[in-house]
Amino acid sequence: MRSSAVLTVACAAAFVLLWKAVVVVGGYPAFILPAPESVFARFVTAWADGRMAPHAVATLLEITLGFLIGGALGLVAGYALGKSALVARLISPYLVAAQATPILALAPVLALWFGPGLLGKVVIAALIVFFPIAVSAMVGIRSVDAGLLELGRSLRASPLQVLLTLEIPAALPSIFGGLRIGITLAVVGAVVGEWAGAERGLGVLVNIARGSLFDIPLMFATLATIALIGVALYLAVVLVERRLVRR
Amino acid sequence: MNRRTDVVASIFLLTALAGACVGQPASATPGRTALTVGLGYIPSVQFAPFYLADQAGYYRDAGLEVTFQNKIDPDLVTLVGQGAIDVGLADGTSLIPAVSQGIPVQYIATIYRDFPSIVFAPAAAGINSAIDLKGRKIGIPGRYGSSWVMLQALLDSAGLRPEDVEIVEYPDFGQGAAVAQGAVDAATGFANNEPVQLQLAGIETTILHVDEIVPLPGPGLISGTRTIESKGDAIRAFVRATLRAMGDIVAVPSKGLDAAIVAVPDLGADRAKQGAVLDATIRAWQGSGTGSGSAALGSINEADWAASLAFMAGLGLVAGPVTVDQLVRADLLPR
Amino acid sequence: MTAISAAGRIELRGLSVAFRRKGEDALVALDGVSLQVGNGEIVSLIGPNGCGKSTLLRAIAGLIHPDQGEVLLDDRLIVGPDARIGLVFQEPRLLPWRTVAGNVGYPLDLAGTSRRERDIRVADLLSRVGLTMAAGARPAQLSGGMRQRAALARALALEPEVLLLDEPFSALDALTRERFNVELLELWGRLRTTIIMVTHSIPEAIFLGDRVIVLSSRPGRIVADIPVDLPRPRSVEGLDEAVVSATARSIRAHLDEDAA
Repeated sequence: MRSSAVLTVACAAAFVLLWKAVVVVGGYPAFILPAPESVFARFVTAWADGRMAPHAVATLLEITLGFLIGGALGLVAGYALGKSALVARLISPYLVAAQATPILALAPVLALWFGPGLLGKVVIAALIVFFPIAVSAMVGIRSVDAGLLELGRSLRASPLQVLLTLEIPAALPSIFGGLRIGITLAVVGAVVGEWAGAERGLGVLVNIARGSLFDIPLMFATLATIALIGVALYLAVVLVERRLVRR
Repeated sequence: MNRRTDVVASIFLLTALAGACVGQPASATPGRTALTVGLGYIPSVQFAPFYLADQAGYYRDAGLEVTFQNKIDPDLVTLVGQGAIDVGLADGTSLIPAVSQGIPVQYIATIYRDFPSIVFAPAAAGINSAIDLKGRKIGIPGRYGSSWVMLQALLDSAGLRPEDVEIVEYPDFGQGAAVAQGAVDAATGFANNEPVQLQLAGIETTILHVDEIVPLPGPGLISGTRTIESKGDAIRAFVRATLRAMGDIVAVPSKGLDAAIVAVPDLGADRAKQGAVLDATIRAWQGSGTGSGSAALGSINEADWAASLAFMAGLGLVAGPVTVDQLVRADLLPR
Repeated sequence: MTAISAAGRIELRGLSVAFRRKGEDALVALDGVSLQVGNGEIVSLIGPNGCGKSTLLRAIAGLIHPDQGEVLLDDRLIVGPDARIGLVFQEPRLLPWRTVAGNVGYPLDLAGTSRRERDIRVADLLSRVGLTMAAGARPAQLSGGMRQRAALARALALEPEVLLLDEPFSALDALTRERFNVELLELWGRLRTTIIMVTHSIPEAIFLGDRVIVLSSRPGRIVADIPVDLPRPRSVEGLDEAVVSATARSIRAHLDEDAA
């Protein structure tokens, strides 16, 4: 545990040094690639003077709601797909087609339908999260050992009991694989959704910093905030997984 | 595993960003100087001077081979500073923050003497001056950019602050429609756009200009300092040719309209509307403020820039010390 | 032969089971099997591969519906899985995400038993099979033998009258198997549940059973019902070798006859 923490810190340090080296060697001016220390300084001031917080909260809300809604729908859909071959055959083509269409292309249309507020971003994030979680749930449900299902039958388990005591526990490892992927995609979806039109959010701040304020260190600091949120949420999923999935 | 993936992804992102920033210089047929010009907006009748200068051969005669980028480009000023684009179109509210952040660009010719970003309202709303905005609903794309600076200047002139009005954001730029529907009392827009459209739809509008309050510099030609060093003569020729076309259009507006329709055939679908937009644009070139009618096309008013610099510094949009000399230069204008 | 008395009596009347697949002829697994097993009897089922032993067990357990005939437990028809019948499969089939205690208590959870009652019962069951120390372990941490013990304890959770075992010790090594046979008899000695056990091992069939039923190859029919004339309690050393040999010879004869 300790050695992995040291390794993580070392990796981060190496990344920062590499960045600095690129800036110095490449001679990049601040408005193209700012040095790490200026980004860090800007990051600190942006949080301290309260500029970053409202945008971060807005994006975090979009991510969380989108993940929860898209994830819940994905789990239900995945369960149906896993249990019924008929459902799988009917619905799969549409699911795959929806997944293959890039969110970047759909986002402006969705922004038009749902408006520039929270709803549109939540829809976009939920959409992007839906497919991987549905697939992971489907695979998980299908992976339930037939022998265990017969055991359940021999003990007269009701369909609900089969779901709760056999199917869900068996499917959890696969489901959490999908949730890990899903949470990072939710971050992407929220930010991309904001680029299609939003009042506030980290994606909006990136655009403002870049196009109106010409404050590139702020733009990088905002990107760093996005990355940190993604990492934190991912770790949260991993922590929940450790608690729920024990073999 | 996740952190390491993050690190790799970040390196990837940064490298890609850095790589993308290195632009490609334009190459030309021998004997001609190539110039890339970023207009910063989608094809529109307001770019008539450029279309006319191109079609009438003014650029060719000056030994130039001009390539236009006619699209919305949020990175335009940065690309000009980098040298990836030789000449761009930008206004003072973009240039001042950019220069204060160390981007090496300069304003070399004025195109719009009036600041085109305005506040407009239906005449029935009774908004005739800035003080009338108090307590009203105002639509705006967002709390950033030229319209935000302009709005703050207007409010400030009446002793108001943004908190004294109700700001409604339309990130999809639907504030014009919102005014027409009555969802808001007034909105920010462009002098040659929303009011013209409303007028054509039969709705009388009142317009609040910021020029008398803070003489914010309207859009003009900008270029990177390094580009000016290496291609100064070509850029000077470009400025002259463009201003000549502008003069032609001021004298005979239909020339501009025809040139725009040749360049952008879709505009021909509604000549009347495009003509109205062009007329409003020409008025913005000439300026409606006192004394501006006599100024030569393209000339730069350094006093106005100084006042605007002070105003924007007051809004906290100037990161470091900036002088007017860093912002503008007049030596590329025709004598 | 033990007297046939009240609870735990199994009767099979003309049981026939066939598996149908689309486009193919029906596969007759069992053909008119009739059998009576008395309360507290141990019956060993032996037969060649594919003779329908597992199918027979599943039919008795109510997991398969017979095409013809009936299964009766204490004169009541078996129409589906029944709490009075406990099952031990060939593989332990433990839930990997539950502890040993959680697995043994699983039937009680499904039946809605209160937590207190469940915990008491589970502790008792674990001690009966000698797994008290492993209560908090997960199946992945156990040996094959311990897992089967847990499966056996689970099968006894609802206090069944009848225990059906499908080659429960076949995956174990010979020494462990022998020990488990002894332990099973000890358990039976205290609980006196009726036991029907499918096995491939003639010595095991003889050691455990009051009777050995020999099934023919497909379609499965009962070809012999051989009594095991050994007194109880039985121990590995104290068996009358002559009786064992004679019984084994008889069983083998029927198996060879069938194979011929």
